[in-house]
Amino acid sequence: MIMERNQIISWLKEIFEEIIDEGPVLLSDETTAEDVDGWDSLTNIQLVVSIEKHFNIRFTSEEIIVWKNVGEMIDCIISRKEN
Amino acid sequence: MDFLLNHCYKQRYTVTPEVYSHFQMCSKDLNPLHTDEEFARKKGFSGKVMYGNILNSFISHFIGESLPTKDVIIHSQSISFMNPVFMNENLDFEAVVSDLFEAVNVIQFKYKFIKPCGKIAAKGLIQIGIIV
Repeated sequence: MIMERNQIISWLKEIFEEIIDEGPVLLSDETTAEDVDGWDSLTNIQLVVSIEKHFNIRFTSEEIIVWKNVGEMIDCIISRKEN
Repeated sequence: MDFLLNHCYKQRYTVTPEVYSHFQMCSKDLNPLHTDEEFARKKGFSGKVMYGNILNSFISHFIGESLPTKDVIIHSQSISFMNPVFMNENLDFEAVVSDLFEAVNVIQFKYKFIKPCGKIAAKGLIQIGIIV
């Protein structure tokens, strides 16, 4: 599971850097939107679209509004991949 | 969302002289390929080539006026020009709902403009958001 989290965070880093396009992005479980320059509400829409496409999963609006940080985003990705 | 995956929207657009001249005024693009019949023929075209970006304005119309809701905003659109369009050609526009992202109210379309001869004039992707 630890490997899987590391792999997911590595993919998320690539997705964030492509969408935000402001150089390297540092991500950890504790990272929030306030920690990443350019992660605003509009960017968040594109991030969700890209994450759903990359992992071939779909979230619900109820799921994404309660994410407090990247760790909860990853929990949700893992949960979707397992179901 | 009032959108179904794979649903196809169809519409017909024409680059009329009025559309052409209004776009020319708006863009201020007087490149001879678009304005000089003789220049265009020398370059191997059968007449003045219509501005490709007129097709982008047709997409604007499609998104703004032809969908089941007016609560829309364009996030992105891409266009690849495949074959030139000439004055008064009818273009059959087809846009298929290619993906839905309900968590963030996003819809993606794959679209194409088809010339009367059956060739594709342009194609691309559009992503819109539903403003809630």
